[in-house]
Amino acid sequence: MGAGQLAGRVALITGSASGQGRSAAQLFADQGAAIVVVDVDDDGAHETVACIDKAGGRAFALHADVSTRHDCDAMVAAAVDTYGRLDVLYNNAAIQMSGRLIETTEEMWDVTIATNLSAIFWACRAAIPHMLAGDGGSIVNTSSTLGQQGSEGYAAYGAAKAGLIALTRQIAVEYGPKVRANVIAPGSIDTPRFRKVTERMDDAESFLGMLQRTIPMRRLGLADDVARLALFLASDASAYTSGAVIPCDGGLAAFR
Amino acid sequence: MSPNGRVSLVTGGASGLGEAIVNRLASDGDHVIVADVDEPGARLVVDNLIAAGLWADMVTVDVTSEGEVAAMIDGLMERHGRLDALVCSAAIETRSSVVDCADDDWQRVLDVNLKGPFLCCKHGIPAIVRTGGGSVVLLGSVLGAIGSPGYAAYCASKGALVNLAKQAAIEHAPDQVRVNVVSPSATDTGLFARVAARSDDPERMMQMVAGNTPMQRLGTAAEVAATVAFLCSDGAAFISGTVIPLDGGMAARRIV
Repeated sequence: MGAGQLAGRVALITGSASGQGRSAAQLFADQGAAIVVVDVDDDGAHETVACIDKAGGRAFALHADVSTRHDCDAMVAAAVDTYGRLDVLYNNAAIQMSGRLIETTEEMWDVTIATNLSAIFWACRAAIPHMLAGDGGSIVNTSSTLGQQGSEGYAAYGAAKAGLIALTRQIAVEYGPKVRANVIAPGSIDTPRFRKVTERMDDAESFLGMLQRTIPMRRLGLADDVARLALFLASDASAYTSGAVIPCDGGLAAFR
Repeated sequence: MSPNGRVSLVTGGASGLGEAIVNRLASDGDHVIVADVDEPGARLVVDNLIAAGLWADMVTVDVTSEGEVAAMIDGLMERHGRLDALVCSAAIETRSSVVDCADDDWQRVLDVNLKGPFLCCKHGIPAIVRTGGGSVVLLGSVLGAIGSPGYAAYCASKGALVNLAKQAAIEHAPDQVRVNVVSPSATDTGLFARVAARSDDPERMMQMVAGNTPMQRLGTAAEVAATVAFLCSDGAAFISGTVIPLDGGMAARRIV
């Protein structure tokens, strides 16, 4: 068995074709875990696997739309079929649609809740029995600063991100002895998806400047900042922490 | 210079959780300064580290005295020229409810548990700024977030500590100083162990408290030290103003 904080473990990471998910997949693999790289973006997922292969790690890519129960069941089954166990479930995949409450269409609501909240319920429901049957496990769910604080235009997103916090506490309490479950609450993180949003803006530079001034640490987060917190929560370094919400936001949540 | 060149200061480092934190940071390669009112205890901890080939020295300090805290920081900056991490773990507790709590007990708990960390931050943070940035970790408690009958002054001191940390985090984030709280519940070595030891049936009391947590066990000092080590590392580079609980899921459950 190799070295590393996750040596001998199997980790499934949703949304790992880019950004925070890819950083985590690479870091977890580097720490000895075998990785199931799950995404709807097949090209990106294969690129993540190629990066891990090149560094000498173990991983395979799997296409799954986590907004469907079927795909969540299938991805967990594939992880266990391939690697024989599942120790870490990192629910990172999410979509972000903005709109104030009365502008939020039924479709926007349904897709946001399915992808950002129900997906986590389905993935956890599929994974927990394997963790209970094995050596236990660690679940890391991704909320947001907007899961605990409001912001104009995030009616569905904020509700989903808050809902998963309650769901995580529930898992921590119900499966405490063997399964830990915690939440990461990232603030503004500089990822390819974040850049895509800002590129569409007329005044991206002034928006980024304004954003940075609101963050006490005066910078955006990096995908790796979030990945390193995810590693802490996935590994035994946090063995007695469960049901917690840990911000990774440069001090933002302490400020507002 | 120590293996990694870092200098860390741990108050209350002569025993309990503080001692475990000292041992962890020293084994990670820091030069650790053990600060405590208990001079023989601090000397023993330092002697053991040096005998093990690690790097440490000690200072006797009453953290409730601004003169002593200022002199401690001045002295270590003269000797080492830097301070990378400040860990405030010195704390006391008294058992009394709000109406029974004597003035002297109230004042003593607030002085050691709240004013002490305030003074250490007031004088320690400028030293960390001069070093170019670093990490402050305050030892909180699960009783800083939830109440417990008979711990009036202790709960108040630990609750206030959380917002002191957020304030310090916001004010010094631009200086690259991160400030976070680690909040353990009962551990097998902290203040709780001493309370249990004074009870009629220590074993039964510890089992009862362990049985009340979702993880069905007490935390360990090594687990607390691992979280402190994470917060002092670059892995937590974007994490500030947060509270990391180590409570086996206790705070996530309503009935404890």
